[in-house]
Amino acid sequence: MEQIKEYFKIALRNLRTRSLRSWLTILGIVIGVFLIISLLSLSEGIKQTITQQLRALGGEVIFVMPGEISDPVAMFMSGAQLEREDIEGIERVRGVDVVLTMSYQSLLVRHEDEGKTIFTSGLSWEKGTEIMEKFQGWSLKEGGWPVPGKREVVIGSQVENNVFEKKVEVGDEIIIKGKRFEVVGILNSLGSKQDDTSIYLDLPLYQDLTGEKRGTAQMAMVKIKEGIPLDKTAEEIKKSLEKTRKRRVGFDAADFSVITSEKMEDIAGDILAVIQFAIIGFASIAIIVGGIGIMNTMFTSVRERTREIGIMKAIGAKNRAVLIIFLFEAGIIGLIGGIGGTALGFILAKVIENCGQAHYFSATVSPGLIVFGLSFSFLVGCLSGLIPATKAAKLKPVEALRRYE
Amino acid sequence: MINIMESIIKLENVWKIYQLGKVELTALKGVSLDIYRGDFVTIMGPSGSGKSTLLNMIGCLDFPTKGKVFLKERDISQLSEDQLSQLRGKIIGFVFQEFNLMPNLTAIENVTLPMIFQGVSEKERKERGKNLLVSLGLGKRINHQPAELSGGERQRVAIARALANNPEVVIADEPTGNLDSHTGKKIMEVLKEFHQKEGKTMVVVTHDPNIAGYSEKLFNIKDGEIIQNHLQAQKYVWNK
Repeated sequence: MEQIKEYFKIALRNLRTRSLRSWLTILGIVIGVFLIISLLSLSEGIKQTITQQLRALGGEVIFVMPGEISDPVAMFMSGAQLEREDIEGIERVRGVDVVLTMSYQSLLVRHEDEGKTIFTSGLSWEKGTEIMEKFQGWSLKEGGWPVPGKREVVIGSQVENNVFEKKVEVGDEIIIKGKRFEVVGILNSLGSKQDDTSIYLDLPLYQDLTGEKRGTAQMAMVKIKEGIPLDKTAEEIKKSLEKTRKRRVGFDAADFSVITSEKMEDIAGDILAVIQFAIIGFASIAIIVGGIGIMNTMFTSVRERTREIGIMKAIGAKNRAVLIIFLFEAGIIGLIGGIGGTALGFILAKVIENCGQAHYFSATVSPGLIVFGLSFSFLVGCLSGLIPATKAAKLKPVEALRRYE
Repeated sequence: MINIMESIIKLENVWKIYQLGKVELTALKGVSLDIYRGDFVTIMGPSGSGKSTLLNMIGCLDFPTKGKVFLKERDISQLSEDQLSQLRGKIIGFVFQEFNLMPNLTAIENVTLPMIFQGVSEKERKERGKNLLVSLGLGKRINHQPAELSGGERQRVAIARALANNPEVVIADEPTGNLDSHTGKKIMEVLKEFHQKEGKTMVVVTHDPNIAGYSEKLFNIKDGEIIQNHLQAQKYVWNK
């Protein structure tokens, strides 16, 4: 153990004397680890946000959304709508209690001469307050709910202080797409950044603003009566939609998705797993390139220090001693790179989190991720150093000494 | 001389043949010799004579193509690389022409390095290293790096390193080759002192006849063979 400690010191000393090259090699690892840590922390953050949001929705809700859930881009971009007869069909399904239709879009909102693009949701207050308040745990921090049909809005908790420079207060006037609205209520936090930075208004008014046809909606949340099985109702809603849509000519029957909140969590988990897998794949390439950099430096170093290796062996160093010293050097390069990469990744994650007004997720750097980043980079260093170190260890003392004579 | 002569290093009909592409180069042609405890031996010979190869054999840095090398009566061909390294580090100390100090390490660190390989404790290493450097007049240079030292000082650090594990033999390859004659003389005085006071066995390779004058025994090597052994100076017995 005593010897190992001394070998470690020698390795450190050797690195210090060729610092520029060491730093450049370290940089290669920094970039790779930085990629892994920042991307994984962000995807971990997204995952948590989604889980949180889904949990806030409760387990007894069925979502009806346009597009195929397996194709998320089409789902949010297709612009497909639920028509009036679709919605009426859903309402008629046995077991359905309330159908809350919603539409949403980012709109230009002005407050005190300051314009911001804010996510705006239209939901029908007549049915909405009940679902939202009793069922999904919405509550007002201040003010009251808007009167349906009146130009009144409630705002998410973060809109109050964090979106506009001036604080938005109950009774303030805001202008959405040129129309005046009164802020009548401020919500308590809903647990997700997206919801907390949104503005909510009555669906018909929203549709007047955006030109969306009245009676239609982008999506619907269905609350079912107590004691009715969720999956079965979801099936029936699907059938009803197929029926109403088939009646209309030219509509593809499969351009909507009916999902329970449980299933949504599964799907989100699956998608994120794929994303994380891809991230790890790409970042691994960066790490491998960094590892090759270490290998290259170590080979050069073995060549340059052939004579030193010869001397060490002549004065009694065993092969193992030389091997350990060189492995330490490579491992330390990896480890320092790992520390740098983790620190940078952590900083980036925090920066994104803090200026995340427009982003709907936070970054999570878990201790596990840090430990992973550090041990992984040390391991990569050692592995990359293995071949050069073995080469150094196998040098014959007499040949190593002769090399430059 | 009637005292029992203990052979520390023994070469028995040692041949060394290098394969240079298709050409064979015979560097040593059946050399036999003994280095006894307490000897001060000089090996002389022109360049290309096989002097360095012979030194590598005596220093157990290389294995012969034919013949046997015994280090304290152990056939080195029977030892593993690691065992040989360990034994070499304990029994033999090296002093090289180019000093061959570790450029990254300070004087004391260079001196204590061989002790690390022998597993000597840190306290003992520091104490011994410091004592050696002080005894060689380098008390004020302990924490200097080789680049900050003069040639003579560097060679004295190298001698201290060679003596670190209290070896039985010190092998010096042209120890004064890179030094001016005045400094060279001082270095030889140091070696002689360790030989006389501590009874260390010295093997010095040189081409300088003045240096050879310090020794009691002289091997002259030419074309891979020992041609003269000055111990039997009066007779000039030819080897074979």
